[in-house]
Amino acid sequence: MFKKIGLAVTFSPNGLSLLKNARILAQLFEAELVVIHVGEKDSDKEIKMNEMILESGLKEGDYSLVWQSGEPADTIIDVCIKEKIDLLVSGALEKEPLLKYYTGSVARTLMRAASCSVLVLVNPENKIIKFNKICVGVDYTPLNEIAVKRAYKLAQLENAEELILVREFQVPGLAITISDGGNTEETEARRLIWQKEEEMKLKLFAEELNLTGIKLQLVCRYGKEGWELKQYAQQSGCDLLVIALPSNKLKFFDRIFKHDIEFIFSQLPCSLLIIR
Amino acid sequence: MNASEITLFLVELSIILLFARGFGELLRLVRQPVVIGEIIAGIVLGPTIFGTIFPEAFNKLFVQSDTISIALHAITLLGIVMLLLVSGIEIDLPLLIRQSKKAFLISMLGVTFPFILGFTFAYFFPHQFDIINDEDRLIYALFIGTALSITALPVVARTLMDLNIFKSEIGFSIITSAMFNDLVGWIIFSIILGMIGSNLGYGISAGNLVLLLFAFIIVSLLFFRKVFDYLFGFAKKYLSNPGGILNIIFIIGFSAAAFTEYIGIHAIFGAFIIGIAIGDSVHLTEDVREIMNQFVTNIFAPLFFVSIGLRINFIQDFDPLLVLIMLTLSVVGKVLGSALGARLGGFDKYDSWTIGFGLNAHGTIELVLGTVAFEAGLINERVFVALIIMALTTTLTSAPLMKYFIEKTKTRFTLAGILNKEAILISDNSIMDKKLLIEKLSEKLAEINGLDKKLIFNAVWKREQALPTGLENHLALPHARCNVKYPTAVLAVHKRGIKFDSLDGKPAHLIVLLVTPVDKPELQLELLSGIVQKLGKKEIIDYISNLNSKEEIVKTINQLFSS
Repeated sequence: MFKKIGLAVTFSPNGLSLLKNARILAQLFEAELVVIHVGEKDSDKEIKMNEMILESGLKEGDYSLVWQSGEPADTIIDVCIKEKIDLLVSGALEKEPLLKYYTGSVARTLMRAASCSVLVLVNPENKIIKFNKICVGVDYTPLNEIAVKRAYKLAQLENAEELILVREFQVPGLAITISDGGNTEETEARRLIWQKEEEMKLKLFAEELNLTGIKLQLVCRYGKEGWELKQYAQQSGCDLLVIALPSNKLKFFDRIFKHDIEFIFSQLPCSLLIIR
Repeated sequence: MNASEITLFLVELSIILLFARGFGELLRLVRQPVVIGEIIAGIVLGPTIFGTIFPEAFNKLFVQSDTISIALHAITLLGIVMLLLVSGIEIDLPLLIRQSKKAFLISMLGVTFPFILGFTFAYFFPHQFDIINDEDRLIYALFIGTALSITALPVVARTLMDLNIFKSEIGFSIITSAMFNDLVGWIIFSIILGMIGSNLGYGISAGNLVLLLFAFIIVSLLFFRKVFDYLFGFAKKYLSNPGGILNIIFIIGFSAAAFTEYIGIHAIFGAFIIGIAIGDSVHLTEDVREIMNQFVTNIFAPLFFVSIGLRINFIQDFDPLLVLIMLTLSVVGKVLGSALGARLGGFDKYDSWTIGFGLNAHGTIELVLGTVAFEAGLINERVFVALIIMALTTTLTSAPLMKYFIEKTKTRFTLAGILNKEAILISDNSIMDKKLLIEKLSEKLAEINGLDKKLIFNAVWKREQALPTGLENHLALPHARCNVKYPTAVLAVHKRGIKFDSLDGKPAHLIVLLVTPVDKPELQLELLSGIVQKLGKKEIIDYISNLNSKEEIVKTINQLFSS
């Protein structure tokens, strides 16, 4: 599924926990692990890093280590391209302070701009994160099909309890049909028809992908895209949310006029896997 | 107001609402926009009919008392402020910002084409619009350009709902373009009002007013938007719901309206812009929006629309040449502009015309625009009447014209639209193997559409092997995504039934082989879902599989899909 995993790590309590999680993920995917640290290399730091790696249970030969100085987010992205990494693992806060959200923290920049898939572990302090309940946003694009297949594969590997496909849809301007002789019953009835159509499409989509051998739940929600998915993942207690995001889709403007994915980025409901 | 004036005022309001409802319902019965009925109610109650037949009664009821006139004017002003507030709430700004290239082309050409046409015509032929003063030419030309480029979102939304294309690519493009048209139109119009305001000597120069206007837009859409979202989140949690949120919306709306009125731009503009900022909140759920729309459009908006007819005599001020000019400019500018945008965006010619005529419904928003311009002294009665007739005509013709073109295109995306009698195979019982049947159907499909039969068969068979497509109730849907431009299908009726590894273990009697473009996975799901919903019942499959002619099968499928 992923052949080469990159891990962006710092000297923090989270750093050790991320190393432990990355080790397990590398074993799970039978992938190579590249540990990336952005900063000047000196003997003190080298000793500290080796201690941390040792404590995480990684053995020599299990990983390679890349030291690189520069601006953290850009450097990590460059290393990912150079090393041909196909999954970047990083830690992140559930919610960034307001200003940081707009200016862009390292973790958020990686989510938005990395050219490979990104797995963001939310507050991974001293725990091995297990993905028991995996939720995937569905939009029926070819990239989304890949995201669902990967989520399914991950669910199998993790022996997850449940895989949930969530389809959100909204029809802009619907409420305004009330303005000209419409009524709420008619609008509601139409919304229900659309809901049924969407449920049928989602069922056919799941059948098309042949997602057998796992408990599968199909959910259709009417509402603002991104927001509904985030709410659902939060309310249903999912451990991992999987979304498809084409490269370079998000710009600064999208943070100002927030939409779909940015609703999720502004407050992560759980760990997040972004498929690119 | 004394007691008799209060009594008369309340009687007046009751009569207006009664006539508005009566004519509105009549129009609804013939599936026409209610707003047209409300305008007709005004014409009936106003100087055009009631005032001509019973001048004394008309004077006593609507003209005589200045106090009542002021009160009615205040209520109608409240009506349009609220109408623009709810219109703003329905503008989805993030959607406009990230609209596709297709929608953007329609939006841009749909605005610029009619605007340039209207502006140029009014600027170079000012006498047609009774412009004598040369200084007013620029403002006037800007106004005519704006009037022609505006689209009435409520009417458009209603039409899309009636035609059942709201949740389609065409519907989506029309709605986003109508939102864009409204946004651009109101910004230009507010600049015009600002220019008039500065001409009237409000103490602020036109340049400063425009700067102030843009500052208001930017602060509202960037900063207040965020504040309102938090505020509504708070209200949802701690105040009575939805009463608390509704209350806050109107407090904000009226405050913003007061601000723009104060700086010399009309109150409605403040309501509209702040509406956009409010509408972006995730806490503003569909039910709150619907309650607001119900409240505003059933009580306050009718008072405003009827009041238009109360102001002027439609017969006296009717100028056929001017109406013809307005209509021609509107149809040529708006329809051609939007249709061209759609065509350049990749829609086929029928879809493009549907979009063009859909966006040509000027309706409610035009009426507000015309009234404000009339009150500001920008246009006279003759132009106002022409504008209203243009708005009503385009609104009335929009739905039938859209229907005409939509019927030519929407069928392509249902089984009924892509199936003809050549694509029907009534299988003899010699074929009892599903692979063989799929091969035969692939051959037929390839032959009809000029495709490579091997390519089709390989794709469909590969998909069939991955997961059998036999469903319940004797239906099977072998399918695949291939390198085709449009979806295509063939249908086989197998009287004896063929094993298709179906979910209920029963043999398939009706087999539809569907091939869709490789880059449109959602279209495939929509078609499959439509087929299952329309054909997936046992009695329907039994009925079709007992038919003996291809014509009858096609006819039955057409009937099923048109229901």
